[in-house]
Order: sequence, then C-alpha cells, then structure tokens
Amino acid sequence: MRLYEFQAKRIFQEYGIKIPNGRVAKSINEIAQVSNLIKRPLVLKAQVLAGGRGLAGGVIFVQQSDDVLKLGSQLMDRAIGTEKPAAVLVEEKLSVIKELYAGVAWDYQHNCAVLIGSSRGGVDIETVAQEHPEDVVKQIVDPFVGFSGYQARTMAAMIGLQSDQLIQYANALRSLWRIFQQHDAELVEANPLSILQSTDMVALDAKVVLDDKSLFRQSALLARIEQLPQQSSVGFEYRRSRAKELGIPTYIEMPDGNMAIIADGAGSGMLTLDLVMDLGGKTRVYCEMGGEITPDLMEKTMMVSLSLEGLRVLLINLIGGLNRMDEMAIGITNYLSKNPPKIPIVVRISGTKQEEGRKILAASRVEFFDDLNQAVEKAVKSTRGN
Amino acid sequence: MAILVDRGTRALVQGITGKIGSFQTKLMIEYGTNVVAGVTPGKGGQTIYGIPVFDSVRQAVKGTKPDVSICFVPGPYACDAAMEAIDAGLRLEVVLAEAVPLSDAVKMVAFASERKAFILGPDTAGIISPGRAKLGVHPHRLFSEGRIGIVSRSGALSYETAKVLTENGLGESTVVGVGGGPVWGFTHSDALKMFRDDRDTDAVVLLGEIGGHIEEEAAEYLNSGFPKPVIALVVGRAAPPGQKMGHAGAIIQQGKGSAQDKIATLKRAGAIIAHSPREISSIVRKELK
Repeated sequence: MRLYEFQAKRIFQEYGIKIPNGRVAKSINEIAQVSNLIKRPLVLKAQVLAGGRGLAGGVIFVQQSDDVLKLGSQLMDRAIGTEKPAAVLVEEKLSVIKELYAGVAWDYQHNCAVLIGSSRGGVDIETVAQEHPEDVVKQIVDPFVGFSGYQARTMAAMIGLQSDQLIQYANALRSLWRIFQQHDAELVEANPLSILQSTDMVALDAKVVLDDKSLFRQSALLARIEQLPQQSSVGFEYRRSRAKELGIPTYIEMPDGNMAIIADGAGSGMLTLDLVMDLGGKTRVYCEMGGEITPDLMEKTMMVSLSLEGLRVLLINLIGGLNRMDEMAIGITNYLSKNPPKIPIVVRISGTKQEEGRKILAASRVEFFDDLNQAVEKAVKSTRGN
Repeated sequence: MAILVDRGTRALVQGITGKIGSFQTKLMIEYGTNVVAGVTPGKGGQTIYGIPVFDSVRQAVKGTKPDVSICFVPGPYACDAAMEAIDAGLRLEVVLAEAVPLSDAVKMVAFASERKAFILGPDTAGIISPGRAKLGVHPHRLFSEGRIGIVSRSGALSYETAKVLTENGLGESTVVGVGGGPVWGFTHSDALKMFRDDRDTDAVVLLGEIGGHIEEEAAEYLNSGFPKPVIALVVGRAAPPGQKMGHAGAIIQQGKGSAQDKIATLKRAGAIIAHSPREISSIVRKELK
C-alpha cells in the first residue's frame, strides 16, 4: 500500500526528519485558505500514487505575482496518467544547495533490509545505480541486530558528508530505518533529501510503501494519518479495485484482446496466458483467484471477467490442490444458471475432487477438459468462429 | 532416497486441529506420510486420527521425535510457529501461509539458516516424494513414482507438469515447491544441489516465473557443470510488465525479471528450454533414452 506524499511526510516528521512547511488541500477553497498561511514562493504538488509525477506536470511553482487559484485549479483537473489528484500539497519553496538520496528497501537476494544512500538525489535511484554506481552506498541490516548508528555514519561519510551534515544525514537514515521497521514498510525513501542554504537537511519528497501483508498490525498508524476520500477511479483501475473488493486478488487487463481467462493458481495461470499467446490468441482480461476458493468467489470471478465488452470466449483453468474441484464446479454452474452464457465457456478441471466436480459440470451440460493444451486450443479456436 | 522427505521421514503438523490443517493431515496420512504428532497451543492432550496433539513443538519432539514439520498456521502467526519448530531442532519447516508479513518472512529465513535448517516457502504447496511421503496440499493422484525431480515456484504449475509426466509414463522422485516469493527460504539452486546427489533422480525439471532472482541464481549454479539433464520452463512470457501476476514475487520491475531474460540466462547455463509441460515431457523422454 503506497501512501500519499503528504501522509509519508507526516510520518517523517513524527520521526524527526525535517519537511517543508506545508498543508494539504482537498479543494480550490482549501488551496486558497492554506496558501495564505505559507510564505511565497510556493510549490503545489498533486497528490497521486503513480510515479513520474514531475514529468507529467504534477508539480508547479507559484511565484509572488502568480494567481494561485488559477494554477491550483489547473493542477486539480490534470490527470497524472489515469489518476486525478486526490488533493494538492501546498508547500513553501526552499532554496536548495544540494540534493541527496536516502532510502530503505528489502534486499531479497540477501534476505535482509538494505539502507541505500547517494550524493545524487532528485532522480530515480535505479538510474543513479546504473549510471553512477560509485555514487550509491549500501549497508545491509542483520534482521536480529537492526541498523546501527555507526552504519549510518559510515554511509554519510562514504557519500562525502562532513561535520554537521554528516550527523544530520546519519540521523535521517536512522529515522528512515525506524519508520521502515516499526511500520512494516516495503520501501521508505527521502528523495531528494536536500541541504538548504540554512544548512538544514529537509526531505522535499517522501515515499512510503507499506507491506500489504502487514497492514493488520498497522491499524494505529492508518488511523492516525489523515486519509483522503476514495477517488473515483475510472476504467481499468476502477474495475481492478472492484475485483479486489469482491476478493479476487489478481485482476489484469490487456488491450486489444478478446479472451477472458480465469485460473486458480499463479503459475498455472501464467502458463495459460503463455499457451494462449503461442496459439495466436489474445487475452483481454485475466483473473487469478488464489488458494482456498469458495464457490461464491468462483461465481463472482466469472461475473467480473465477463462484464467487459467484446469478449469471444471465457477459458477457465482449474488445477486444484487446496482448491476443491467440486466447489469450483458449483460456483461455475451457479453462475451459469443465473446468467445464461452469451459466449462459449471452456473449462479445464483437474485435481482435488475432480470426479465430483466433473459430475456437477456434466449434469449442467458444461463442456470440460482434462488436458490443458486441448482446452486452450478449443478456446483460441472459438475466438476465430463466426 | 528422493530428497528432503522419504518413507522414513517423521512429520509434525503445526495447526493440526484447524479446518484446513486437519483435512490436509488426513490426506497426508492416507497417502502414507508418517505423521507422528500435531501441535496446537492449548489443545495438548487431545488426539486427532489417533495422532497425539501437543501444546508446543518441544513437547512433541520429546514424545514423538519428528524431524520435519508442515505448518498450517495463518500468515500473521507463521513466523513464530516456524521459529518454534526450528528452535526445537527440526531440519525442515514447510510454511504454507501466503499472507506472511515481509519482515516475518525475512526473519524466519534468517533464523533457519543460522541453525542450518530449511524453510520451504512461505506461500508453498509443500513437497511430495510420490509413493513415499507428502508434506503439502498436492492433488497427489496427479503424481506418480518415478525418476524426475521437479522444483517449482508455483504449486499449480508443478501439479500441471507432474500430471503430464505421469500421463506419459514418467514419474517423479521428489517435487519441491519453493513458494511464491519474494522471500525464499529454499531456492531452485538448493534443490539442484540435492537432486545432483540423489540416486533416484535422473533429470531435473526447473519451473520458474517472472520476477525475483532464483532462476538466475540457479543458472549460476548450473554454470559450474551439472551431471544430469535440466529442463527449464519459465512462465510469464505473456505477462504485462509492472503487474503482480498472482504471486507476490511474480512481477517484472523496471524491465528486470522478464521470462525472456530468465530463459536466455538458463539456456546459456546449459538448461534445455521448454515452453509447456507437454514439451517438458517429450524433452525428458528424449534425454533419458
């Protein structure tokens, strides 16, 4: 779960990292109000979760003589990618001498957290790592020891900082680590972490991504930070969020396709997509249901995937261990009894309780296959029918 | 022989009294797995299918001497349960839970590796040595005893592959599921090292996915030479970048971890590339002629 910048900055502040003076505004009226409280020049920052905000025009500067309402309403109306800003963060514009980078992420190769620092801030750290690997420093964290002060100071020295700046940077790293650890984050970044003329070190941008699987123990944090009203997303994002609400963990759309594909396993699902592609078929929508699937989820997944226009076939690939094929078959027949199919439905069903499942399908005259390749061939062929 | 689990394996089931735990334990016992004990804190003293239930792994170890454990404990509590089993001296812990917090997954894997034990998973279907023992939730009728080793990130993809091998008269020595990632306690290269020395395994099928690093790591291991044929299938060729494809670890990020790259890397390391389970089966036949 990615947090908005203003939420991340609130957390940074709690942990002692300096942030620019600013307020979040959810409407033009609020922009008018808060912009009077902050000294000009200002920065208006669209609050979106997508990356590439700066390049997409999501950050604008307001000089002494500019009309903040005009610029603010332009920003509120501008979509960043497919995302309309949920709010605008109004901040003082600071005079920066140098931009640094500081962040914490998981290093899955070494199975530990890693602190990352760089003397080059304000750009994507992956890009810096590719173009100037010598300017990126790392310290890995022993899961049972944590990130120590000496490691933070070592990193600060390695990126060339001295005296007061070395201490400020090391403190910022320690704070980022504490945020990462105490709030079960996947990623925490201050980029840029900027040195001002006043010699203060301030996080001009803040990124916090929480681990979705740890949210159950972060309810205090989530209750504490100001939430924004749900944005009315459109298109793919809307349909994906609706699928998620219904309990479908994976919902993916691809342009130009005409096949709907449902699977009950991640690997078998990807294999199905690959085999469809190899036969020249084109997937439009793909749903993967995860483990422990109920008949109800099976039924809802059919409803969701069949709600798109222009589909010519639905291919369902079930190969269950934990999932029981009798329950899957009940879900399929329940859906079909309420919604007579307008397009062919091709079912492959194998695994736990497959005989029982096949009996249920046969009784409802649903055609099924035991062999995946045959099912894929049949499905792709039916997209070419009249 | 097989790897990791065999007829002589003494299995413990953590979370044996839960709905899924008890149902799957019954299937494992029916398959012939030697389940010697179960653990559910607070339910010590009960029995289920005649198997004693203990409050703690230590008590179970004292009374019944298990050497491996399968853990049906839900994600939020899985780390604690896994560490308990490893602390009690078990050599292998199979963690089925999918929703394990990242920091917990990292912690349990580090805890195990310091104690020279293995975590299989998290988010794994488990491990099966067909005809001998099963520590997992596999639909075991699709598997048959034979001489092909399989290591897979995905449970369902390993079922699919075993099914096709079985239908073509080829069986499996051991099928290991390493889990959906992005944290792995046991990887493809760990499995390759064991299959290399296993007298019951003639060839190894490596089933990979987009994202993560374990196929590349396996390729690095294969680069130093491997005495048995390795057939690799990496799924996700049709997966759009930037999307999590069902497994937390299955995502192409910033152009890294595509199926095409992994396939090329494995090919350079000497693996024979297949594009479907059907193709795996015909390659295996040819290689073992």
